Amino acid sequence: MSSSILKLTIANVAKDLRLEWRSRDVYNSMVFFAVLVVVIFSFSFEPTSEESRHIAGGLFWVAFLFSTVVALNQSWARELRNGVLDAYRISPAPPEALFFGKVLGNFIFVTALECLMVPLFVVFYNLSSAGSLWQLLLILVLGTWALVITGTFFAVMSIRTRNRELMLPLLLIPLSIPAVVNMVKATSNVLTADFSAVPHIKFLAVYCVVFTTACFLLFETVLNAE
Amino acid sequence: MKSKLYPFFVGLVFVLLSYGTYQGLVAAPPVEELAAGGEAQRIFYYHVPAAIVSYTLFFLNFVASVIYLFKRNPAVDAFAVTTAEVGVVFASATLALGMIWARYAWGHWWAWDMRLTTFLILWLLYVSYMLLRKAAEAGSSPIMASALAIIIFLDVPFNYMANRWFRGNHPEPVTLASPALKYALFSNMIAFLAFAAVIVWFRYTLERVEQRIAAVHAQRAAQGMLSLALPAVIFFQTSHGNPIRYTYAGYTVAWVIYIGYLLLLTRRVARLKREEQELRRDL
Repeated sequence: MSSSILKLTIANVAKDLRLEWRSRDVYNSMVFFAVLVVVIFSFSFEPTSEESRHIAGGLFWVAFLFSTVVALNQSWARELRNGVLDAYRISPAPPEALFFGKVLGNFIFVTALECLMVPLFVVFYNLSSAGSLWQLLLILVLGTWALVITGTFFAVMSIRTRNRELMLPLLLIPLSIPAVVNMVKATSNVLTADFSAVPHIKFLAVYCVVFTTACFLLFETVLNAE
Repeated sequence: MKSKLYPFFVGLVFVLLSYGTYQGLVAAPPVEELAAGGEAQRIFYYHVPAAIVSYTLFFLNFVASVIYLFKRNPAVDAFAVTTAEVGVVFASATLALGMIWARYAWGHWWAWDMRLTTFLILWLLYVSYMLLRKAAEAGSSPIMASALAIIIFLDVPFNYMANRWFRGNHPEPVTLASPALKYALFSNMIAFLAFAAVIVWFRYTLERVEQRIAAVHAQRAAQGMLSLALPAVIFFQTSHGNPIRYTYAGYTVAWVIYIGYLLLLTRRVARLKREEQELRRDL
């Protein structure tokens, strides 16, 4: 059973990646949106100042949160066309595989976005980290996972409501505040090296574990809600 | 649920609320400490009970949501909607009262203090719950809302931990030294819990009625409710002396929120009645 879940998950991820590779509609809009956010933020304060090290953590994660919402909405909207989601629901395939596949696919998209956004931030805000880089990497991975797992879960909820795309940020943003606060604090602490980022990283790890479990347990219920 | 008890209960709540308000406004001795806001400290007797009520209701919402996912009983779902909605109303009153007090005691309406921030986020979370309920399709709405309620409940402890390093402006939970203060607080606490119970009762009846459009029960509930609007009149009086004005303003705003909500509910009852009449005419 578990091997079939794994196989189906891989099939789902492969399908999403292939679709994305051919159309590139999510990635292009997401990247351009992120660039726009970075540029717009730079007008709100003097980006070359010494201050940017303190503010960059907050800016980065807020920009990232908004771009993630764009990506997450797209990922399920694709399944709605031609009744793919309904077909999946009547198929005997375990819904966990679909969810896990979507989460992994979104994680890959969003990580690819980060690979582009981090250099942008470094260039536009003259950033250099005073702390260790591996911690920063860990924060990126945990923060991305925290947003993607709850985001994918809420995205499937919101495409099933009347005002589809509008609903996702309304659900995701209030709920992810604790995680975002910790991502911002951890990032700022690493960049400035004033305080330890370890408690925030631990917080993010616990957050990821709890919400991954909860979302997996509740996904089938939400998918089959009728 | 049988509405014979209902008018009696509404009367009891009316008495309790009047007594609690009297205790808070008149009987409780003034607090000497300037940091507490002098006479404006009396807002506390409305602020804390409203907060306790909203926490209680949010917890009940979680319990009802879990039960709903297992039993799929529409009555439990009606209870879940009710507790979330009334909880949001009381949480709004808590926020408004706190802001008015802060304007006097701190000189500004809002501070990004730990308790304020977490409470605001809690409020946002349950507003998003209500929005999901509104936006979801009729069939899937209860199930998705239950799932969301569980996720929200898991988020609450994280919320507290995440905001713990905000500097604390909020007064520490008062271990009320004077028994007179304690008495004023607890009489209000009981009054507001009973008040919340009566609103939940009313709102729950309404939800059940909406669930099966048989609006006969709603009418009787509405009559009892009108008498609740009366205590508001007491607070619309002008007064001199600076801090106490904040107390009056706070109490008034709280009542505007509660009564505004009740009026919304009565409008809903009216709509249901119209709907019922139309149904009858069609038959």
